[in-house]
Amino acid sequence: MTGIRAGSNRGGRGDRTQDGRVWTLWSTRPRLPHCVAVSLVLRRLATAVPVILGVSLLTFWILNLMPGNTALSLLGADATAAQVAQLEAELGLDRPAIERYLEWLGGLFKGDLGRSLASGQPVSSMIAERSAVTLELVMLAVVLSTTLAVGMALLAARRPGKTADRVGAVMGMIGISTPSYVLAIVLVLAFAVNARLFPSIGFVPIEESALGNLRSLTLPTIALAMPYFGVCSRFVRGDLVEQMESYGYITTARAKGLGSWNVLLRHALPNSLVGLVTVIGLNLGPLIGGTVIVEQIFALPGLGSLLLQAVNVRDAAVVQGIVLVMAVVTLLATLCVDLLYMLLDPRIRYGRR
Amino acid sequence: MAGADALQAGAEAPSPCRFVLAQVTGPLDVAIPAAILLLILVACFGLPAAVGLPSPVGGSVLEANLPPFSARHLLGTDLNGNDVLSRIVHGGQASIAIAVSVNVIGLLLGGTIGAVSGYLGRFVDALIMRVLDVFIAFPSLVLVLAVAQGLGGGVLNTIWSLSLFSVPAFARVARSATLRVRGQAFVTSAELSGGGPSRNVLRHVAPNIAPQLITFALLGVGVVMVIEGGLSFLGFGIEAPRPSWGNMIAQGQQGLFTRPSLVLLPSSMLFLTVLSCNLLGEALRRRWSAR
Amino acid sequence: MTEGWQTLKRIELPDCVPRRRVDRPPPERKRVALPPLLEIRDLSIRFQSGPRTDVAVNGLSYRLNEGRSLAIVGESGAGKSVSCRALLGLLPRNAVVSGSARFRGIELLELTEAEMRSYRGGKIAMVFQDPDDALNPTMRVGKQISEAVRLHTGVGTRAASHQAIELLRSLKMPAPEDQIHAYPHELSGGMRQRVMLAIALAGNPKLLIADESTRALDVTTQAQIVRLIEESQRQRGMAVILISHDLRLAGSFADDILVMCAGSALEYASTPELLERPRTPYTKALLNAIPSVDGPRQRDRGIVWRDELAYGIRVSASGCPFEPRCPIATSACLKEQPPLVEEGFGHHWACWNA
Repeated sequence: MTGIRAGSNRGGRGDRTQDGRVWTLWSTRPRLPHCVAVSLVLRRLATAVPVILGVSLLTFWILNLMPGNTALSLLGADATAAQVAQLEAELGLDRPAIERYLEWLGGLFKGDLGRSLASGQPVSSMIAERSAVTLELVMLAVVLSTTLAVGMALLAARRPGKTADRVGAVMGMIGISTPSYVLAIVLVLAFAVNARLFPSIGFVPIEESALGNLRSLTLPTIALAMPYFGVCSRFVRGDLVEQMESYGYITTARAKGLGSWNVLLRHALPNSLVGLVTVIGLNLGPLIGGTVIVEQIFALPGLGSLLLQAVNVRDAAVVQGIVLVMAVVTLLATLCVDLLYMLLDPRIRYGRR
Repeated sequence: MAGADALQAGAEAPSPCRFVLAQVTGPLDVAIPAAILLLILVACFGLPAAVGLPSPVGGSVLEANLPPFSARHLLGTDLNGNDVLSRIVHGGQASIAIAVSVNVIGLLLGGTIGAVSGYLGRFVDALIMRVLDVFIAFPSLVLVLAVAQGLGGGVLNTIWSLSLFSVPAFARVARSATLRVRGQAFVTSAELSGGGPSRNVLRHVAPNIAPQLITFALLGVGVVMVIEGGLSFLGFGIEAPRPSWGNMIAQGQQGLFTRPSLVLLPSSMLFLTVLSCNLLGEALRRRWSAR
Repeated sequence: MTEGWQTLKRIELPDCVPRRRVDRPPPERKRVALPPLLEIRDLSIRFQSGPRTDVAVNGLSYRLNEGRSLAIVGESGAGKSVSCRALLGLLPRNAVVSGSARFRGIELLELTEAEMRSYRGGKIAMVFQDPDDALNPTMRVGKQISEAVRLHTGVGTRAASHQAIELLRSLKMPAPEDQIHAYPHELSGGMRQRVMLAIALAGNPKLLIADESTRALDVTTQAQIVRLIEESQRQRGMAVILISHDLRLAGSFADDILVMCAGSALEYASTPELLERPRTPYTKALLNAIPSVDGPRQRDRGIVWRDELAYGIRVSASGCPFEPRCPIATSACLKEQPPLVEEGFGHHWACWNA
């Protein structure tokens, strides 16, 4: 058979063909110059800036609409008007709103989120203390949901319409219909008999004991992750099955002689990943919101429970700070999703010629 | 020809299992959740009127912790002496009413904003999108929490605070649906044949984005019910002693191991209602997008 | 065709019919009858979804010998692709296949999935129509080709890339060393078809099925691709099945032509025979549809056409599939499907009134 040479082991940078031309195996195609790629990223970041400003404005505005008087609730119901006025002056609550907002905004640029009205502690240090727990909880929930969702979707897409597919559909439906607080309480009820397996409340920091840390976070993670898992699983299953059924490249891959697992893993899944990343990112907001309830139920010392405490005493500064941080994190997650999308889909990366 | 025989032989009756399965994916996938929802609605809104139930609040402690099937109390009483069945029914009223009104507001207001934004395009669209982005950046519960604790509790306040979350979500869906419809030829031809933008939106865009918005609203009823439940669970939203499924679950936590039914009953009702909404919304979405 | 040889006659072809390329050597004559490479007998395929049954192929039979080329021609929905996908087991789950399809004596329809996999690509390869999604959009084309190479030859990654480059070079792709790093959406339609051809040829198959692979291309590129297929066929001694709706293309390439309508074979003959002496009204209609350089021919082979065109292909269990549109249809045509009758020189046709 002419024209096809069996590849011999040549090694080295340049391989010579029969006519002596040198060619290399890696790409010499013109790529997007670096400055163009970076400018795409910068442009995306730039659209986020006015949104962040808007978020800070909205946070401040909402929390200063509070009809409840902070000073009054701090001092107790039987404080005199004079005492209230004095506390207000001390805390600076009697200045006009605009001035307070601008001062707060200015502080933000320096990383200073103000001071707690109740305890006087700097808000940023309070947040920093507590965020480790919430971060770990959220990350565990994301990892658990995503791996389970993808695993189930792979099994379902392998044989659509059979058991794995139906089980996956049912679990996805149940997942999105179960609120985290309901599941949390049911889990506590279920595991209360064997309290040694998972503690129903309390948190063990990772410095003390890694195993204890994971044990104390197991039930909260499951409760938090269930709705998230439902959403992810429904999407990935649907997308993977759709890829396998109606996309031409799958038939080409099968016509090559690849087995079903190989087709799924090497061809269908990478194409689904793009959509999966979007779904993960967009649903991060509700997940973070869910930490508020879950931390309360399981008495975890995280940002969510801090938020609740602050809301109960009407500590505006702390609430502002936490709400702002959560909103900004959600926004950054959406941003990362957009950028990852650009990275994963070569059609967007290289554009069309 | 030999092939014809094979064709005749193909029309066998399917096996019973396959038949049932085919029915479930037939019109029954709309009928079953719709029936369940109807049942729940009738129970929550009809029962107190039809049957004389004891009041959901103001029970005396002397009657606390009665077991199910006691006299006058079909499901027993809770820790404060209130009739559980009555509380569930009234709590359902509150939760369902809130969820439905929030979604109606979202549909009308958010749908309009989104449709207008998508239709007008360019500068107006960009502006409205930025504003929507600001709202959507907040995790749902957090935003609602912040507003709810400022406004206070009660049904009306809860509706306002939940709308703050629902309207931007509808606006986003309406906008993307409008953008898709807008690119189609019939909209351009309607514009060319005259008629102002408002008329065009109403007559051409709205009927085409309506199915999508309605299914989103159905799924949204479930979502809002869950968030309202969470709000009430935390003590905001509907405040004690008025019942809501959320605050019933919170209250029941105290007696979790002695009387789990106090938690499980409202939880199951909530779960069932949300599940039926989701199933119905999904079924309708499948049906309408297959067209 | 029953024998492995054919008589080459000097035939006067009318002007509207493109000539065959004369530089192509005539197929070898063999006195001994060879076993056919592919033998389809009474193949019937129907799709079952719930209570609905759609018949796609109805009693199809033909033979293909080694190294020969067959063109299956017909309108969309005639069952051409479906019949060939059945050979490789690439039909959707609700397909019911009956009949026989023997490849070198092995019954393809009875193979298990694992056995079928050893045939795909290695012995029988398929090239698809490529609108936009016949190639994996997130994988570089070189990797897609070397995946096929590694599957069938088991060489290492580097050697497979070399082979991919050589395959593309033999298919006349410019600068293949650079192109193997491209993504499919960066290549033009003709380039993508070359990539698909390279994937198909990687396993050195004995039978290549080209499923409408030139439909989405412009005419020049179409011709290029068909010439490439022809060249590969000659180099490797491959048999080729070309599925097309374009009778002119089929005529310029294939040794034999099979005309299908709504799932049944209506006419089956060698190319010059079919083009010169079409017997069924359907083939004559298809030939008439080829525009000629001289303008519409008045000497029309004696058929007057009905103006209305019945869209929608009805596949009936009884009756001729062309009956709704046939100008010479009679009541016999409605009642019973005409059988495939052979007349001299291996020309088969199915018509009650021809």
